[in-house]
Amino acid sequence: MNDRREEELITSAGRLTEEVAPGRDLWPAIADAIERPARRPWQMSYLAQAATVLLLIGASSAVTYVMVRDTAAPIVSDGEALIVEPVSYADHHALGPKYKKAHAELEAQLQDELKRLPPDTRGEVERNLAIIRGAIAEISVALDSEPDNALLQQMLLKSYQEELSLMQHVGGLTQRVTARKDI
Amino acid sequence: MEALLTATACDYSPGMAILNEPGLTDEAHWIRRARRADVRAFESLYRMHVDRVYGLCLRMTGNVAEAEDCTQDAFIRAWKQLGKFRGESAFGTWLHRIAVNCVLGRMRKSRRERERIALVAERNDTPTAAADSGELAELAEAVGRLPEGARHVFVLNAVYGYSHEETGSMLGIATGTSKAQLHRARRLLAQQLDKEGT
Repeated sequence: MNDRREEELITSAGRLTEEVAPGRDLWPAIADAIERPARRPWQMSYLAQAATVLLLIGASSAVTYVMVRDTAAPIVSDGEALIVEPVSYADHHALGPKYKKAHAELEAQLQDELKRLPPDTRGEVERNLAIIRGAIAEISVALDSEPDNALLQQMLLKSYQEELSLMQHVGGLTQRVTARKDI
Repeated sequence: MEALLTATACDYSPGMAILNEPGLTDEAHWIRRARRADVRAFESLYRMHVDRVYGLCLRMTGNVAEAEDCTQDAFIRAWKQLGKFRGESAFGTWLHRIAVNCVLGRMRKSRRERERIALVAERNDTPTAAADSGELAELAEAVGRLPEGARHVFVLNAVYGYSHEETGSMLGIATGTSKAQLHRARRLLAQQLDKEGT
């Protein structure tokens, strides 16, 4: 008797509705979730990459600089004395008028373009720019006391390049955002 | 045939103009496009399957809010894992597997959270019953009151027709356990319904 009753329940269960419509449209939240990561990580990774590259360059260069500075002991040689001539990049690190002009133009564009970026992306760009500009300021201070230090000069140039690159990339970002037809 | 396809397409009307394109109701077509990161194609797949996925989530959780969250989670995961779908099973079955994982994941949450869910479920007047009528509504209510393990097996096996092997695989339990849980569910349901005089 019980078995028959239970069999009937199984038969009835097979007639229960398999499809139930949700009370509200669940798609907008799903669309938001699947479209968001397609855009943001790419932007973040590029910006994070710029900052990481700079930090790595800065850190490795700083370590090299400290090591070179601390090994100032004279080189002992049994052979003929080495003729050591100080090498200087002199003013190679100084910024030329072309760079200054390009920088000024990009800076002006940057401020406009930053306004068009979403707030979190804008914050990310500004944080990265602050890191780069902080590095430039510190290297410049170091160069004041050691103007012929080739390593510092290279670091400074690299930092300027990173700054320009990031500023140009922001231009690209805003163009892509404004060019999108689907948003 | 085309008229039939068009008529079927019209059934998916809410927000789905794309589905009204004649002859484009082929699921495989939308899967191919969705795998190329076409969000609109994935929306078509969502419209085709959401009721069945939501129905499963609702019967397994017995709670509207949880079922909605699980359904959304399932489709988000499906989007991320589309590249892994090899077509070895039906797309709907593949979605069901993901949905079951989402439900189980939520069930594994802390006891406190589950108690909260249970309280909300009580206030929802067993929403699964709303989809059915008469004796079936009473059965649906009784299923909602089954212990978790027995309920999950009963829903997958008796309601959605998955075999014990498939049910065990979906729930991460042995086939024998699935059979034992179904037996337990049947017994408990019979007791409950007999007590209520159904």
